[in-house]
Amino acid sequence: MDLYLASVLTNMTLIAFLALSAYLVLVVGEVSFGQQAFFCIGAYLTASVTALAGAHIVWGLLAAILGGAVCALLLGLLTLRLSGLYFAISTLCFAELLRFSLLHIRFTRLIDGREIGPDGPEGFSNIRWIFEHNYAVTDFLLLAASCLIILLGLLFGLQRSHLMLTAHMVGHDPVLAQSQGFSPHRYRLGFIALSGAVAGFGGGLFALFNTHIEPAMFGVMLGVHGLAYAIIGGLGTPLGPLLGVVLDIGLLESIRQLAAYRMIVFGGLVALLLVFRPEGIASPRLVARLRRRWGRRRV
Amino acid sequence: MDVLQTSLDGLMIGSTYALLGLSFALIFGIMRRINLAFGACLLFGAALAIYLEPLLGWGAWGLFFITMAGAALASAYVERLCFAPHSKRSGAVTAMIASFAIWMQLDEISSQLLPQRTHAYQGLELPTLWLGEISVRGDQLLHFGMALVSIILLYILLYKTRLGLLIRATADSPESAYLLGARVPWLGFVVFFLAGILGGVAAFMILSADGHITPLFGLWSTFKGLIAMIIGGVGSLLGAVVGGLILGLVETHAGAALGAEFRDMVTFGLVFLVLVIRPGGLMGVKVYRTDNAAQERV
Repeated sequence: MDLYLASVLTNMTLIAFLALSAYLVLVVGEVSFGQQAFFCIGAYLTASVTALAGAHIVWGLLAAILGGAVCALLLGLLTLRLSGLYFAISTLCFAELLRFSLLHIRFTRLIDGREIGPDGPEGFSNIRWIFEHNYAVTDFLLLAASCLIILLGLLFGLQRSHLMLTAHMVGHDPVLAQSQGFSPHRYRLGFIALSGAVAGFGGGLFALFNTHIEPAMFGVMLGVHGLAYAIIGGLGTPLGPLLGVVLDIGLLESIRQLAAYRMIVFGGLVALLLVFRPEGIASPRLVARLRRRWGRRRV
Repeated sequence: MDVLQTSLDGLMIGSTYALLGLSFALIFGIMRRINLAFGACLLFGAALAIYLEPLLGWGAWGLFFITMAGAALASAYVERLCFAPHSKRSGAVTAMIASFAIWMQLDEISSQLLPQRTHAYQGLELPTLWLGEISVRGDQLLHFGMALVSIILLYILLYKTRLGLLIRATADSPESAYLLGARVPWLGFVVFFLAGILGGVAAFMILSADGHITPLFGLWSTFKGLIAMIIGGVGSLLGAVVGGLILGLVETHAGAALGAEFRDMVTFGLVFLVLVIRPGGLMGVKVYRTDNAAQERV
């Protein structure tokens, strides 16, 4: 496979994790501007575990998942009584606080003649695990994509499950959910933690693939892009966020010739798309209609 | 003496934040929506002004008027494309994302108008005033006056005119205002235009005090406006003004005490604390309790 194509596809896969984590928060009815924080935590943890401690990639990614989930749970607990706009802004502040703190964290060690470790605004360089173990770009793409497919498979399998349906109910109407005996708080916390884990995992892969990470990469733009993909794609199916990613990065990469003007066209197109399909492309309504039609044909 | 000087500087900067916060509070008050493209509108206005300035040669006041007009036009465009189609209750997030898309678009247009990384933004040349050991830059004092005048004009518009009454009625309850004959969609448009004008004034004040503009100005001013509104209390206009002043004071004091690199951290930490401990902000506790948006889900 073409190296360029492979790296674009890998980037799309990595961003898809972020978009899916934004989707998971949207399912329980919240909007988060701070998913990039968990992505960032995952990236730094994986980098530390693999490059600093020299452990296997599996441990690095596990640390990323755990770290992302724990931080998300903490944020969820702190903001338990906030919702809507207030929750969105508090996640944004959390992410920015984390990013600014990383500017002041310096912990470098000399390993094999290289300075390794987080070095304030310079970031974390020489995360060389995939080079040292001779992973080609395509191999890494295969790894990342299969992880994404497993995650999507899980979400699809759970799509009609009790858990997911209740989460959607909590998202639509927490009061209704509570009157049915479900605790909205518990579902909210659970899904926020889950979203943290997914974002952390994506961040871990991102660090391994990029080999260099720095706080400036995890600005608010990253998080809002993830959120936008989830919304553009639609909340009807877990494939929605993926659709958003493919649409944005795929389309942008294919009209590279118009590089200077592409955002002018694309931004307007997205806004127009949302006028005609306010719930995104794969909206819950469309998915329900398709499922009905499909079901009838099979019968 | 230093504390006094820092506080004075903080108030001067805070007055511009107050205007940014007011623009957000106006939009949020009437639409219950966050306009992510707000900073991009200001950036667009400023970029247009710099682009047209050599052609027209009107000097600093020309920059002022074009910035204001450009920002107001862009803001009205954002309202038509991103907020008017999503006025239903369920459209809050969609509107936010649509405004994000337009933010990207306006950013790109602005960077086409401003090809270099930084551009000079001409300010007004005024002598510095000295009161004993305390100094005030003449242009900043003028800006403070302009902010004050803008706030007073807004107050008169909102509390002494029929249009203001309609806007306040809609902010209170869109449904009953609509039933009583207010043209709610039109009022949304008016409010966005007003917010654009206010923001344009603030943009001129900030940029001419700095003397230059970078493409990051859009994101920066969105942040400052949002933060000023949150600190003061969402939905409260007085709160937004107070919040802006507090933000200015906190920033300058934190910058003086801890150094510039910790300034933003302190700001974001403050907002996070305000949200966790007192979500309604300083003024908005009552608003928060009664605000449907606080309970509203996607």
